[in-house]
Amino acid sequence: MPEKEKILASFLLREALPPEISGWKTGREDQVFTRNDVFDYMNGGGEIYLAYDFQFVFVREYVRDEAPSIVIEIYQMSSSEDAFGVFTHDTDGDEVELGQGGIYGAGLLRFWKDKIFVRILADRETPEAKVVIFELGGKAAEAVSSEGGKPGLVKALPAEGLRPKSLGYFHTQISLNAHYYLANVNVLNLSPETQVVMARYEKEGSQARLLLVEYPTVERAVDAHGRFVEIVLLERFEEGREARPKKLEDGKYAGVVRKGRHLIIVIEADKKAVLDWITKTISKNLEGQKP
Amino acid sequence: MKKRKAPGTFTRRDFIRGAAVGTLGLALQSRVRPVPGGTREGVIPFAAENPQSIVVLIRNEKAIGAGGKVDAAVVQEMIDTAVKQFSGEADAAKAWAKYVNAGDTVGVKFTRCDWMRVHTDQAVIDAVVKRVGEAGVGKDKIFAQDGGLPVAKCTALINVPSVKVHTLTGIAVSMKNYINFAPAPSKYHAPSTNLGEIFLMPDVKGKTRLVVVDILRPYFGPGPQINPLHRWNYHGIMVSNDPVAVETVCLNICQAKRNVFKGEPWPITPPPDFIAAADKAYKLGTSDPAKIKLIKLGWDKDILV
Repeated sequence: MPEKEKILASFLLREALPPEISGWKTGREDQVFTRNDVFDYMNGGGEIYLAYDFQFVFVREYVRDEAPSIVIEIYQMSSSEDAFGVFTHDTDGDEVELGQGGIYGAGLLRFWKDKIFVRILADRETPEAKVVIFELGGKAAEAVSSEGGKPGLVKALPAEGLRPKSLGYFHTQISLNAHYYLANVNVLNLSPETQVVMARYEKEGSQARLLLVEYPTVERAVDAHGRFVEIVLLERFEEGREARPKKLEDGKYAGVVRKGRHLIIVIEADKKAVLDWITKTISKNLEGQKP
Repeated sequence: MKKRKAPGTFTRRDFIRGAAVGTLGLALQSRVRPVPGGTREGVIPFAAENPQSIVVLIRNEKAIGAGGKVDAAVVQEMIDTAVKQFSGEADAAKAWAKYVNAGDTVGVKFTRCDWMRVHTDQAVIDAVVKRVGEAGVGKDKIFAQDGGLPVAKCTALINVPSVKVHTLTGIAVSMKNYINFAPAPSKYHAPSTNLGEIFLMPDVKGKTRLVVVDILRPYFGPGPQINPLHRWNYHGIMVSNDPVAVETVCLNICQAKRNVFKGEPWPITPPPDFIAAADKAYKLGTSDPAKIKLIKLGWDKDILV
């Protein structure tokens, strides 16, 4: 049996979705796209999913006369961490209680649970369509029996001052670029093996942006440390010597500290004090984690 | 000292300093040859050769009605008014005759991105095709398509893009609209710096007579998939012959909308460096606001530019 037919035949969440709901019926045949052909579904958009350990996406359309069509996409990731990561790509909308985290706005519902990320989108929002969207979301969430963990790296972040919905998790340069542009080269040596948590902080009226990167080896962390110091801070890098935080052209501070396999990068800090507080707090938190 | 920052490396700091644009141009300049103006007698020359590029932006509150329905008659009138203004002709037929004629085979290159749903609206495509036909171009010589447009067969192109902020290229308007003329379109995704070279491919070079932008319902979110919260009714049509100037104006509008949406600066990322490259290296038009004459017509509420 071809791979896609196998996926369709064995995908439990497909069985959990009704063939008809409030007059909406399944439209075109259910589809599955894997890493090999995700571009057939979203040419120019697949890169964002391929930047995570995405396995396949299941797509079903619901149609009803004189009503907006509704499409449900269920993304199967290989880990709950990556399901959470894809979910953090765009967090605009109102938070809703669904799965392990959900957001809704203007006819688009997204949530993640265990290794699954779900998007349900109506062509346009109507009161009826909204009800159906949430019913479908509820059925999909119920069909996932277990919950998965968020990335362990998230635990190193201080909860104090963390701006709501500012947390992002990813691995590679293409995702970094989608969240925040650092450079046109891969300054931080990001790869599928690296883990990155990005967040924004606000403390005592001062804001700052954090990039916390975990590398598979100390050597790679050291190399990325040097690249950041020399390419972004434009300072001489000497291993073992801490580069001081620097005030940049925008009047804000940037700095980097390495702790073993981790780089703690704080940028766009209004005041040096907030930068220092973030780096010290995270350094301490990382010390409490296993190396 | 600083050995890791190789030539051609640009950081956020360079963009803040405004140093990236000039440096980018210099870095790419050696790779490309200057573009001659126009392809044949009578064709409007590339805007890059003009001291100033003209962009006409027209907006009409009635272009979009209840439920987001686009009013085709209003759109036709908007396009006619903008093309008349751009051409300097008082009559729509005479205006269009400046750009296409019976001897042409015309490609009307629109944007159709099924999965993302930010298409060129059918009303815009229909309005352009109608006027191209009335200019004497036979139906069998008008190719209104996105993918598969036989560009080699065309003597003239009308570039009819939609407007969206894009995860991989920063923004996607008139420059990215030609991406599927390239044999390997993905080559121009992340980085997209060299998008301009598509305009210099033998089958494409010098054929763009007019750019008619559907900026009725642009998209300002990060994408790649649509979040309806990030789409707004702007009610606009834009006309020019300078794809770089058009891209520049649309970038400014989308950036302004993002800032309004978040209530703080929300920079478009990645920065669309292909715009500067299209200007400085490929000479396709201008990205310098001082050289863009923006003519604004019609409704001006929340115009953002």
